[in-house]
Amino acid sequence: MNDTLATIRKFIFDNFLFDAAEEDLGNDDSFLDQGIIDSTGVLELVEWLEDTFDIAVDDDELIPENLDSVNQLAAFINKKANPEP
Amino acid sequence: MTTKRCTQCILPSTFPGISFNDEGVCIHCQRYRGRDAAEKQMAKYEQKFVQLLQEKKKSSTYDVLVAYSGGKDSTYTLDVLVNRYEMRVLALTFDNTFISPRAEENIRNVCGALGADLFIVRPNPAILRKIFSTAASRELYSAKTLERASTICTSCIGIIKNIILRTAIEKEIPFVGFGWSPGQAPVQSSVMKTNARLMQSTQQAIYKPLHEIAGDAINPYFVTSEQFDHPEKFPWNVHPLAFLPYDEEKIVERIKQYGWEKPDDTDPNSSNCLLNAYANQIHRKRYNFHPYVWEIANMVREGVMTREEGLEKIEPPEVEHMVKYSKDILDNYS
Repeated sequence: MNDTLATIRKFIFDNFLFDAAEEDLGNDDSFLDQGIIDSTGVLELVEWLEDTFDIAVDDDELIPENLDSVNQLAAFINKKANPEP
Repeated sequence: MTTKRCTQCILPSTFPGISFNDEGVCIHCQRYRGRDAAEKQMAKYEQKFVQLLQEKKKSSTYDVLVAYSGGKDSTYTLDVLVNRYEMRVLALTFDNTFISPRAEENIRNVCGALGADLFIVRPNPAILRKIFSTAASRELYSAKTLERASTICTSCIGIIKNIILRTAIEKEIPFVGFGWSPGQAPVQSSVMKTNARLMQSTQQAIYKPLHEIAGDAINPYFVTSEQFDHPEKFPWNVHPLAFLPYDEEKIVERIKQYGWEKPDDTDPNSSNCLLNAYANQIHRKRYNFHPYVWEIANMVREGVMTREEGLEKIEPPEVEHMVKYSKDILDNYS
């Protein structure tokens, strides 16, 4: 899980926050409320999730609860990788 | 001083978040999975769209509401939705008060030739120009947004996306269509249901700054809170140029048969908007990279155009009289 968190944070900083300091983003901070990710940014995020973690994101999974913070993304990736039987 | 650029695509060292390996290849080219993987994805998403069409067509007066600028990409999108997928199309043109006269003629010609109904939304010019003038003078959006378009373009497109969505909901049209080029939006988003709650959150990124400038005058162009309460009425998004072969020369040749001609009063990256050159110049001065470089770099990477063709679109300076035309108009609203 820690590896996943680090991977997500690196992607967000490299692609959305650029020169921001590590402490500028908490793992529970909302990407949407803080204006970090807009509607096109969400699409880029989904593209990265699918390519990096080899998962398919369904349309009905494109909801803030799955995508709106580092921790939510990590939980979503974990759920997709380990589906309930 | 010459700007350092990726040796494979055209992204410059001034682009946000970029890094290069020892061979001078940018991080985005290093991540690229290759043309074969892209073509598999394209086939997968076209199949998804065709299956959806079978379920959704004939459920309302129109099958799809298309954002129609009169430019070559949205013209070709209109063409494929009418002729390849046999959809009943309503075209919506948002008149941002800077449409080239030739593009206006193209809109009339193409809709007539394709038998598409046309709905023109023409807001109060003073409101729009106040927004564009403010965008010319200061930044309104997040750093990420600046990768993909100028502040003026982002304002205009933000309104268009919302008026398209609102109109589709009001008219109960099951699809909204956009002519995003393969470089503008990823294929993964080419067939996607609009999620109401996600849209409600992301809408704020554009609504808030525009509302600060223009007040409630912009409300008619945005989805209402009552509409957000009915997610079942939200349409599917489709941008078919992401999953179809894309060749600029062939596209232009094809759409000429509908009476489309390239305007001679727009910059190399637009075939409809007189404001684009000014918007580009401001962005280039403000951030030291061209606002189209992300889109063009993606198309170079995808093999849609050569690196030299890409550089030709983003390296020459903006044409001065095109810049002056828009600047003189907007200066009256600053």
